[in-house]
Amino acid sequence: MKRLIVRPTECTHCRNCELACAFYHSGVPTPVGPHVIEVRRVRTVPVPLTCLQCDDAACVHACPVDAIRRNEKTWALEVTDRCIGCHACEQACPFGAMYFREETHRALKCDLCQGRPTCAAFCPTDALRWAES
Amino acid sequence: MEALRYQDVKALATHAAQLAASPEATQRRLLVCCGTGCLAGGAAAVAEALEQQLAKLDKKQRVQLNLVCKKTGCHGFCEKGPLVVLMPEAIFYKGVKPKDCEAIVHQTVIGGEVIDKLLYVDPATDKAVVKYGDIEFYKQQQRVVMRNIGLIDPAKIDDYILRGGYRSLAKALSSMTPDHVLSEVEKAKLRGRGGAGFDAGRKWRSCKKAAGDVRYIICNGDEGDPGAFMDRSVMEGDPHGVIEGMIIGAYALECHHGYIYVRQEYPLAVKHLQQAIDDARGRGLLGHDILGSGFDFDIEIARGGGAFVCGESSALMRSVEGKVGEPRAKYVHATDKGLWDKPTVLNNVETWVNVVRIIEHGADWFTTMGTAGSKGTKAFALVGKVKNTGLVEVEMGTTLRQIIFGPGGGMLSSGERGGFKAVQTGGPSGGCLPDSLLDLPVDFDTLTKAGSMMGSGGMIVMDHSTCMVDVARYFLSFLTDESCGKCVPCREGLWQMYQIVSRICEGNGDLKDLDQIEDLSQAIINGSLCALGKSGPFPVQSTIRYFRHEYEAHIKEQRCPAGVCKALITYSIDKEICNGCGACLSACATSAILGERKKGDTFEINEVKCDRCGACAAVCKFDAVKVA
Amino acid sequence: MQPANEKTFAMTINGRRLTANDGESVLTVAKRAGIDIPTLCHHPAIEDFGSCRLCLVEVTKPEWKGWQGLMTACLYPAAKDLIVETQSERVRHVRRNVLDLLLARCPESQVIQQLASDYGVTRSSFTPRADADLCILCGLCVRVCESAVTAAIATLNRGRRREVGPPFGDVPPDCVGCTACAHVCPTGHIIFTEDKGVRTIWNKKFELLRCQKCHEPLLTVEQRDHLLKTRDLDVSYYELCPGCKRQRTAETFADVVLKTHPHFVPKQMGGSSGIPTVPFVQHKEVRP
Repeated sequence: MKRLIVRPTECTHCRNCELACAFYHSGVPTPVGPHVIEVRRVRTVPVPLTCLQCDDAACVHACPVDAIRRNEKTWALEVTDRCIGCHACEQACPFGAMYFREETHRALKCDLCQGRPTCAAFCPTDALRWAES
Repeated sequence: MEALRYQDVKALATHAAQLAASPEATQRRLLVCCGTGCLAGGAAAVAEALEQQLAKLDKKQRVQLNLVCKKTGCHGFCEKGPLVVLMPEAIFYKGVKPKDCEAIVHQTVIGGEVIDKLLYVDPATDKAVVKYGDIEFYKQQQRVVMRNIGLIDPAKIDDYILRGGYRSLAKALSSMTPDHVLSEVEKAKLRGRGGAGFDAGRKWRSCKKAAGDVRYIICNGDEGDPGAFMDRSVMEGDPHGVIEGMIIGAYALECHHGYIYVRQEYPLAVKHLQQAIDDARGRGLLGHDILGSGFDFDIEIARGGGAFVCGESSALMRSVEGKVGEPRAKYVHATDKGLWDKPTVLNNVETWVNVVRIIEHGADWFTTMGTAGSKGTKAFALVGKVKNTGLVEVEMGTTLRQIIFGPGGGMLSSGERGGFKAVQTGGPSGGCLPDSLLDLPVDFDTLTKAGSMMGSGGMIVMDHSTCMVDVARYFLSFLTDESCGKCVPCREGLWQMYQIVSRICEGNGDLKDLDQIEDLSQAIINGSLCALGKSGPFPVQSTIRYFRHEYEAHIKEQRCPAGVCKALITYSIDKEICNGCGACLSACATSAILGERKKGDTFEINEVKCDRCGACAAVCKFDAVKVA
Repeated sequence: MQPANEKTFAMTINGRRLTANDGESVLTVAKRAGIDIPTLCHHPAIEDFGSCRLCLVEVTKPEWKGWQGLMTACLYPAAKDLIVETQSERVRHVRRNVLDLLLARCPESQVIQQLASDYGVTRSSFTPRADADLCILCGLCVRVCESAVTAAIATLNRGRRREVGPPFGDVPPDCVGCTACAHVCPTGHIIFTEDKGVRTIWNKKFELLRCQKCHEPLLTVEQRDHLLKTRDLDVSYYELCPGCKRQRTAETFADVVLKTHPHFVPKQMGGSSGIPTVPFVQHKEVRP
């Protein structure tokens, strides 16, 4: 099974991944969409932060309508159209990886781009890699 | 009361025989109608006055008389109440007042003489009629369902048993299997009397076939149609009839719980039904191990909260469950998933009573009455501009003309606007039929084909003082008030139709409105969730179909031919007839009448001030006030 | 196509043979096949209601001998050999009238205006409602709160006077201010405001919990308490805002890196490392 492998040691803090992710979600040539990946530097270490697709996810526990479902092929947890916009998952995620979009009235998270993660495709150093774990 | 509990069928039969042989069985009876209608007319005081008069007699005389005074349910001749009938002589008195009771006891009961002024006068012959059975209103009826009403005290179970009550139940439990009972009802081709006319046997069969052990039966006593009071009379006047029918049905369906849903506005029916339930339980006719057969079944009364929509089967079930009375999708049949999602049979009050008769006399007997498609009889609440308003039960297939001009006694008024114009059947779900259709036989399919429907039995007779556009407006206002509001076509559509028809009544209509009504009607009929919405457009559709000229008069000429729509009529005083009595002057609330009470002077109406209330016309004894 | 049994079977929508599963509604099957059926009172997470009537479709079965029924696709169960038509004359006629009526009810609603124009209605042919708001009485807000939150609001009154709101028109005692109702509302009728850490919805004011680190407003105190009662996550999950949680996560990973790489030096762009200086570089092939 392929997973998104994150290696902060290879990260240059170039933030290509953020731009690429925003581009993917907005669908327009200029990246105005939200991005669900963020790079933060702590002391000397740049860390790309995105959803860890937890095996036992807090967001799934918090959701009252079972709107977050596992995609068996990509292993990503996806917010389905069952989402009622209550923000419970956004507040529950311990990693801050759940976002909310007022325009769509739904929660938003990394769904690994249906199996072709855009961030990994644009990472120049392979700090983000889509590979067998 | 007594701890008389029938251990088995034989015990019931023995007791029934005892009652039949007892002095009570041959007692003379003074029957005072105490249905809600007559109570409103003062029947309670009449009953009390009779008792007082009887109490005044000395003991020996009382014993000699062997008379008992009974408060019964509705005799059906509501126009003429309060009613008192002396049996077995069958002397029938109408319009009885407490002050007449002394004479009734002394002249009639003791003296054997008839009191002329209390007799019913047949308008056709102008002759007084003495006997109950000779009165055309009753003579032309076939009282099958209403057999006991008016002849028994509904609060006394022994009265019911004396008239053969619970004999059908005994027969079913002792000599028929549940499936045999079901088959008999199927063979009888009994169609539901609540309005839809769905085959009861077929409904029962679907419920029986549905999976699961728990089933329910419900008696629909919501009777929401304006002007309908047949079910009320049955529940008030013969509650055991309903109960017996339900027990038989429960036996056939192998079900152990039943509900009678009574509308909020029928407290007397609830009182009598509860009494009957308690009494039946006490006798072992209801509850655990009925008549020693091992069959358990009990009934609970559930009350409505004042909503017409709760007469709809699925909304009624939600209401019993304690939820808001809103219907749900109808392809989920209640016989599969009804009350609490269990298979449920819901039938109307009249339907349940018919079950008792069918088991007693057999399906073959039942099918000898009625037409090919509609077997048995039907009770109608005949109201409106007829001489005899009240409850009329006739064989299916009797024509509208036969009902209205037979027991109905014909049109009320012979005046200018008194002739027959239309008859409305089926309540807010039905339609208005004109005089050209008076010879239609009353049966489910015939009325539906003509653009109306049988409905639950409301039959409103209209003459030319009724405006058909106003009738449509009335029904639309009723429905918009009663719609549950869940679905768009009914909630919004009927409201918009009401707006359009109201505008027409106000003289602001357009011929295009009639096309818009037709288009919207079709959308409401196709799109609504339940029958309230689906049948809501029928009154408007039928009045446009048969009385289009009247709509056109309102639209094209701003004229209301019937003289009803306030915005389009004027009141005037005919100076040739007016004799200056001034009664109208006193009646007018808006000081619109000009003139003085001087001998020889006549009055005039100021059209600007007049608000068309009609008070002057109502008080004028000389018919000098005209409406145009 | 999958073999038919009780659990999966074939049915037809608009002439297309489709596979359906036992328990699904016609709407679910249609959506899956990309067949558009308009809805207003439907939401995937909420039990269907059948009140807007927009999703009415013609249904028939071979044994019905040509008789067709109009049923709401959201509620009508998919069945073996069911034949469905989503755009018949009758269906379009009802939809047009429903949208025309809704436009009279909510003339200002852009959602209704758009849907109505799809069916040829640009101006309502009916009397507009006085003091019209945007509520189309779809009931989604009531149903979502009932099924997924606290049943704080309900439908009140009947018929024309029907409305949604809190009991007796007061401030709803059970509302936790989660804003789910506002988010499922199809027309944007339900609004909430936030000002200085106070959220207001249904005339009820809610104090918003603050992030323990940066004081950013989180969720309402009431919603947090409700989640603690109804879900199995303890209070520590609701103490920081997502941003501060990301910071905490970054610190955790950074600690690991520095511990395992005592002489860590971050990678740099440009120079002899061969990594391009310009961001947003050429896309690499990423196979799923």
